[in-house]
Amino acid sequence: MRHLKYAASATALTLGLASTGLAQDVSKDAILENYADIAAAEYGDSLATAKALQAAVETLIAEPSADTLQAAKEAWLSARVPYQQTEVFRFGNAIVDDWEGKVNAWPLDEGLIDYVDSSYGGPTDENEFAALNVIANPTFTLSGEEVDATEITPELISDTLHEADGIEANVASGYHAIEFLLWGQDLYGHEAGNGDRAYTDYLQGDDCTGGNCDRRAAYLKAATDLLVSDLEWIVTQWEDGGEARTSLTANPDAGISAMLTGMGSLSYGEQAGERMRLGLMLNDPEEEHDCFSDNTHNSHYYDGLGIQNVYLGEYKSVDGTEISGPSLSDLVAATDPDLDAELKLKLAETMRALAQIKASAEAGFAYDQMLERGNVAGEMLVMGGVNGLIAQTKTIERVVSALGLDQIEFEGSDSLDNPSAVFQ
Amino acid sequence: MRLIAACFALVFTAVPTFAYDIDRIIDEHVLPGFGRLAANAEVLDQRAQEDCSATSPGLREAYNDAFDSWVRISHLRFGPTETGDRAFALAFWPDTKGFTPRELTTLIEARDPAADSEEDFSHVSIAGRGFYALEFLLYDPQFMDAEPEEYRCKLLQAVARDISATAQAILDDWQNGYADLLRNAGENDIYRSEEEAVRAFFGSVVSGLQFTSDTRLGRPLGSFERPRPNRAEARRSNRSARNVLLSLEGTRDLVRLLADGAPNVEAELDTAYDRALDRLAGLEDPTFAGVGDVQGRFEVEILQQNIDRIRELLGASLAPILGVGAGFNALDGD
Repeated sequence: MRHLKYAASATALTLGLASTGLAQDVSKDAILENYADIAAAEYGDSLATAKALQAAVETLIAEPSADTLQAAKEAWLSARVPYQQTEVFRFGNAIVDDWEGKVNAWPLDEGLIDYVDSSYGGPTDENEFAALNVIANPTFTLSGEEVDATEITPELISDTLHEADGIEANVASGYHAIEFLLWGQDLYGHEAGNGDRAYTDYLQGDDCTGGNCDRRAAYLKAATDLLVSDLEWIVTQWEDGGEARTSLTANPDAGISAMLTGMGSLSYGEQAGERMRLGLMLNDPEEEHDCFSDNTHNSHYYDGLGIQNVYLGEYKSVDGTEISGPSLSDLVAATDPDLDAELKLKLAETMRALAQIKASAEAGFAYDQMLERGNVAGEMLVMGGVNGLIAQTKTIERVVSALGLDQIEFEGSDSLDNPSAVFQ
Repeated sequence: MRLIAACFALVFTAVPTFAYDIDRIIDEHVLPGFGRLAANAEVLDQRAQEDCSATSPGLREAYNDAFDSWVRISHLRFGPTETGDRAFALAFWPDTKGFTPRELTTLIEARDPAADSEEDFSHVSIAGRGFYALEFLLYDPQFMDAEPEEYRCKLLQAVARDISATAQAILDDWQNGYADLLRNAGENDIYRSEEEAVRAFFGSVVSGLQFTSDTRLGRPLGSFERPRPNRAEARRSNRSARNVLLSLEGTRDLVRLLADGAPNVEAELDTAYDRALDRLAGLEDPTFAGVGDVQGRFEVEILQQNIDRIRELLGASLAPILGVGAGFNALDGD
């Protein structure tokens, strides 16, 4: 079956002409504007809900009680809903990818931050600061330098502690650090149950549990303030004239390619692979994305929804306002209606599979339990999501090809900077 | 941008000298590669059942042969390797959180009966299975003489048997259906066109070399301030540089088949591969232990640049004549 490239080249040429003709009906610029508007709205909602979390944290610190701790946890859970939908903007938008580690890095060696159970162990080959416990230690040595952490500030967290010693698992900032400070370690293994930190960890004076409650409160406040300021920064990048928006819209084809790259990379390598399948194959309850709060089912669900949002060009804001406009779906439909229908269906099937995981988890079958060795029903549930994500990636690849964007991913290489170089 | 794309299309149409042959790729690269893996894995299993001592020369030889044959085709991460957890169960690495020694310790401490049954063992965490787990059992002092001896032996045999079963299952799937899907691309829904079939192979080369550059070399390199020689792949069995060699040879084999009929592109890529292979041969540092000193680090960095040059050429020279992109791969996340 030796194949001359005549036929394929002719197809490419025809497709190229076809998409050039039809593409005028659906403006790529308008699609990119709508995408950037959705990004701005999703990050705006992430910021608003993070501010609500900040207020709840201040109340918890001022008046520690079971109720104020619960309110802070609920605020954290709410804040995750819009944020997870933004993850699709990471891959393909370099400015987001460079920034997101500050707010959503995971997994973390939580012993860096606060006390942990003895079963956690101490420093490891990979990370000698895995059990540093900054909250208990106002001064310590880090990579040969004496660190003064008597005052825990956002700057200390972002500039000194975060990724300390160049190790990614030293996550000192962002949602998951805050999650750990609110919930504590999940010591239930494969059983249902999340971290059960008591509000007394924040009581000042003799009733303090876990030690150093003043420093724990200071850490929680600094980490939450830092989250808010990091989100404020990213929101401005997506506003009119912001760098994320201008670099996206500078080249319409590269912009459309970035949208698809974000969808495909999150679907396949990140969510289906790293976050879902790997945890299942390792049977490890620590390998769930929101492990302290047992909120992983929502994390997966809203990641999936974010991907679907981008394709359909729609977003339902946390106050119910709908943003919608020219979409990738419109562009694909103008080129290949069957392919558009296929991708819509695949995205919907994935959302159904992710909804089944969420429904089971909310009804009491915790994500930890699904990961346990030999738990066939759990494996089926998780693999349903994984298979949906893999299937949609295949169709996203077909879309990349149908829109003639195959070569865009090599942008910056000789072929695009200097087309003649290829034939030298 | 559109103008450039149109130029490409016109040029291809005018110069239709290039051809690739899916049948040859399957018959000369894929099937022999997975056949060798299955055969060597079977020998590994037999040797382990005969003599389970960690220092047995025959066992270690069989281990290295089987691992060699895996690395040579480990870029082919689609289809049969991705069914169930097969490829992960053969090769769980990098292990950034030390899952493998922890899982082995847990199995040994519990005398986990999963080691008694091939079926039960196939449900064990991927961290306790495959070539990297077996490396700990064969070469790490903590596990070479682990007690009780009877269970250590049984566990080692279970890992070897599981590797063999997985390798055989991959081969079976390629032989009994999957190869035909690629041969008959355009007539089935998995591969709807020739382009989709060739994209699967091209993407596998791209991701295979990315893994070698970013992970096999990048992990021990760490940063200039903080090199990480202990993160070198399979350093306990002295295989770090060897796996880079096998990855280069294996992907080169496929690249030549993909570029067949385009002598200029083939020659350009061959030169780039030669440069990387020469650099590797001159390194004389089987575990990249030298990344800790300036000269040693420099040499590994140059090797990494040589490999990245191949990757650039794949995008700049090979992709346009194949008319495909690389698609998405498992390394797209973070």
